[in-house]
Amino acid sequence: MIVRLTAIYTAIFAAVLAAISGYAYWFFAAQYRALLAPALETPEGQTGLRTALAHVLTTIVAADVPVLVVVATLAYVLARASLTPLLEARAREQQFAADAAHELRSPLATIATVAQAARLRSDETTREALDTIARTALDASALIGDLLTLAREPRPGLLQSEPVDIANIAASCAREFADRAASARLDLRVRASSAIVQGDERRLRELTRNLLENAFKHAKSSVSLESGADERGAFLRVGDDGDGVAPILRDRIFQRHETNDPGGSGLGLAIASWIAHAHDGTLALEDGGGGAAFVARIPAYSGGQNAR
Amino acid sequence: MRILLIEDNDAIANAVRTMLEARKFAVDVAADGETGLEYLLRETYELAVVDVVLPGRDGFSIVRSARAEGTQTPVLMLTARDAVEDRVRGLDSGADDYLIKPFVEDELIARVNALLRRGERPINDRPAAGKLLVDTGSREARYDGVPLELGTTEFRLLEFLTRNAGIAFTRAQLLERVWDYEFEGSSNIVDVYVSQLRRKLRAAGGADVIETVWGVGYKLTA
Repeated sequence: MIVRLTAIYTAIFAAVLAAISGYAYWFFAAQYRALLAPALETPEGQTGLRTALAHVLTTIVAADVPVLVVVATLAYVLARASLTPLLEARAREQQFAADAAHELRSPLATIATVAQAARLRSDETTREALDTIARTALDASALIGDLLTLAREPRPGLLQSEPVDIANIAASCAREFADRAASARLDLRVRASSAIVQGDERRLRELTRNLLENAFKHAKSSVSLESGADERGAFLRVGDDGDGVAPILRDRIFQRHETNDPGGSGLGLAIASWIAHAHDGTLALEDGGGGAAFVARIPAYSGGQNAR
Repeated sequence: MRILLIEDNDAIANAVRTMLEARKFAVDVAADGETGLEYLLRETYELAVVDVVLPGRDGFSIVRSARAEGTQTPVLMLTARDAVEDRVRGLDSGADDYLIKPFVEDELIARVNALLRRGERPINDRPAAGKLLVDTGSREARYDGVPLELGTTEFRLLEFLTRNAGIAFTRAQLLERVWDYEFEGSSNIVDVYVSQLRRKLRAAGGADVIETVWGVGYKLTA
């Protein structure tokens, strides 16, 4: 961040400096030509002009270099001074969010656990009420977890990192959703081909599940799940044959709380996108062919360093 | 079956005790880290359920100390945080599994039963083959005394191959027994892991520890 800002400051100044220097050289060249005009008829005059102009150029460059060094240093100091408080504030904010989430989840954990234990010794009506209490507490806790995830910049440091075959993730998620597909009379079509990535298996499973959840909500008769690798890396594609995503939502679909489903929390796709980005990948809405198709692309596993 | 529950939050401790007792387990509860460790070392339990955040001594430290004393009781960690560091740290300290709070009761019972089944098998917790030593208690592996830095899956694969040193396994067998794979197509994830393990073993001085058996798969030679 600081380095990037330093580079930008320095580049802007270097451009200005180059323009001034260019103008100065052009100005001196014109002056010398005018001054030496009578002598320019002779070869000696020509040589003299060339020598003089070379001198001018050397002087300008000799003046520019130290100025540029000073400017780069100043730019760094300035960038540091202006960014450090911002970066610190951001770190504090994230720490606060993490602490707040932890504090909120603890009582929810108590509620969920106590309610689930109490239902073991209760009659039918009470049991239903306790189930609702437990489920609500679990959902609220999961929601806090999602918000906490989204509050952080997606980066690989927040993930466990091991080679994983996303075909296996696709296969096991397909099995998880098979019953739901049957009871919703949806045709779940799976085409899993091997694609190894470096990543967090649990998170990649969450990504796949979120995309499937979304597709199940919108599908009319079928959902497709595909994994594989092509020249651009590994991909995971989940499509449905619903109404597709309204053009007005297309650009914002991955943002928090943007949804075309009034019932959803709207975080599923945002989380999926966060996970893809944390793996140095992308999540995109694919065009064409009715319904919606979401494609997560993640760099393919490159064989580690010096692997053999 | 006796289970030790180390948890300082009374409400949660009572609730978890109720859940476990409903399944006919006998449950002892310790409300702080020191007491918990004392029980764990003194009594015999089939399983310990340990909260991470505890007064006195945290869950990681309890498990590490218990393992250092040679206690092989399976441990299920309860953690409130979902951070990767916590998950990895929990397993590295010698816990066998972890569960994030709040959890669904069925999930707790399923994990408990899985750990108890695993615990019933009389297993050697320090399998060795030649210069290779795997300590499943402390989750450490050494070749010729040199510690190997291994990821979770790498460790599982090396442990499996060490336990079955000299036997050749096909890729499909390894996928089934080490990975619990559900994908039925072909995958070279096994080769990826074998090549990583070979690289780390070679760095520790073990050049041909994992052998390729042509037409079959891989085996570990002592």
